[in-house]
Amino acid sequence: MSGRARLPIDLSQPPRAAGARRWMPALAAGLSIGEYARSLVRRLAFLSAVLVAAIWALDGQGYFWPAWAWLGLGDLVLLDFSAGWAWRQPRGAVRRVACVWALVGVAAVILVFTWLLTWLLAGAQTFWPAWALLGLATSGSAYSLIALQDRVLVAHGRRALRARIDMLTRTRRQAVDAQAAELRRIERDLHDGAQARLVALTLQLGRAELRVQEQPEIRGLILDAQREAHHAIAELRDLARGIVPPLLADRGLVAAVESLAARYGLGTSIEADTHGSLAPAVESAAYFVIAEALTNTAKHACAKRSWISLTDGQRMLVVIVGDDGLGGADPSGSGLAGLRARVEALDGSLHIDSPDGDGTLLEARLPCG
Amino acid sequence: MRVVIAEDLALLREGLVALLRENEIDVVAQVEDGPGLLRAIAGHKPDLAIVDVRLPPTYSDEGLLAAIEARRRQPALGVLVLSQYVETTYASELIGGDTAGIGYLLKERVGDVRAFLDALQRVAAGGTVLDRQVVAELLVPPGGATEPMSGLTAREREVLALMAEGRSNTAIAESMIVTPGAVEKHITSIFAKLELPACNDDHRRVLAVLAYLRVSR
Repeated sequence: MSGRARLPIDLSQPPRAAGARRWMPALAAGLSIGEYARSLVRRLAFLSAVLVAAIWALDGQGYFWPAWAWLGLGDLVLLDFSAGWAWRQPRGAVRRVACVWALVGVAAVILVFTWLLTWLLAGAQTFWPAWALLGLATSGSAYSLIALQDRVLVAHGRRALRARIDMLTRTRRQAVDAQAAELRRIERDLHDGAQARLVALTLQLGRAELRVQEQPEIRGLILDAQREAHHAIAELRDLARGIVPPLLADRGLVAAVESLAARYGLGTSIEADTHGSLAPAVESAAYFVIAEALTNTAKHACAKRSWISLTDGQRMLVVIVGDDGLGGADPSGSGLAGLRARVEALDGSLHIDSPDGDGTLLEARLPCG
Repeated sequence: MRVVIAEDLALLREGLVALLRENEIDVVAQVEDGPGLLRAIAGHKPDLAIVDVRLPPTYSDEGLLAAIEARRRQPALGVLVLSQYVETTYASELIGGDTAGIGYLLKERVGDVRAFLDALQRVAAGGTVLDRQVVAELLVPPGGATEPMSGLTAREREVLALMAEGRSNTAIAESMIVTPGAVEKHITSIFAKLELPACNDDHRRVLAVLAYLRVSR
């Protein structure tokens, strides 16, 4: 009995024990009451199907009425399976839709098999379930559409959101690049325009001064004017340098960083693995990150060793500045916070690791694709 | 003295030409870019080239590179580079291995006409002139307290900067309004702190300073 009982019914849940432990030990084996009840129903259905056939055989056979009993019992089992399938779907709208389709499916099977049996047992007739099936399919589809509408809309919303983020990321980067290029143009104009003219002015003043050696009053005025021009030139130079140091503009990041490191005199070792030219915004950000890090190292770290690494790959420039000094740098300090803002404007990230007494490691990742 | 001027801004170039001619210096050619400089030097064999760091077509360090190349072709040529920048790397590159007949001045120094003409003469004669602000930059590393230079007092740095410009003790004393004896004392102290051998010769003192600057590169 046990072998036969397993076949048609218990595909999903094979019996867990044999012999005397057949029914009750199922509970002990970890089945829930619901599962136990379902397996019981399936076994009873199978038993009933066999019993009905036996009664028909003993009763002198004739009109094969057990087919109707089998249909009813089969529907019960089908309902159990389809409900189980629906219940395994993700919670929410999807599960509700699955439940509806499970019911629609069971109803369709009942209709089709009822027609099939009447056709087999009572002779040919039109396929009368057609309209009922159409109705079931229509109402099932309508329910699905309504229930899943949210999900469809959300997916659409997500796509729109992603497109918007992509667009904003792209335009922000364009704005930052344009700003960097514009700043460099301003820097160049300051040098080649205003500053050069002021230099020409001091030269003319100098020539004038040579001619009025005997008139101390006029000479004094000229020297005052020259001093003012000198101040203006120095201010323009500082301004231009703050925008982009000349070496960075002329020779690129690696040369500028080498010069910077040499000026700090920390014996900094530099490892550079960069290819091609970088966008001005990326170059400037990397340069100022390194400059700030070296300033901090020189001022606070008492480091024996300091190192810089520049790696450019996978559309990302990775800048690492480290020292073996005192550590304990405050990432929220104004210098580092300013750097973070600068790096984040490029969609980059800045990470500072500075445990007390164990050196400082600063890593900036700058997208440059 | 025969001079070539490489400067792209007409106003400044003409001003320089007028200044030099007023002072009986022969300007044999005026050019606007690096290749022009090299051609003028080959053609005119001048004693001195006055070169702007930033020249067309790149407007970066083209003038500096042309000046270095000109020196390579004519080692006896004096080169005075005028720069908008206090850029120690450029100064160091220009100095290279040979300090004779080299000058690196900020552009605005042309306004101090007498000192500028004096610098021209010294560079043409094989001397060395380095802008005091560039020297100061090299002497005081940003933020760092690890350099031997930080042991110098402000007064000593000033003396050293003037020394780097190639000035004599008397000139330094005049410039700082102190006695030559005081200057001498500062210099002895500087050499002691930098562990440089002291000597009396002006030019060798500049070389000593430059040697130190190159080491600190």
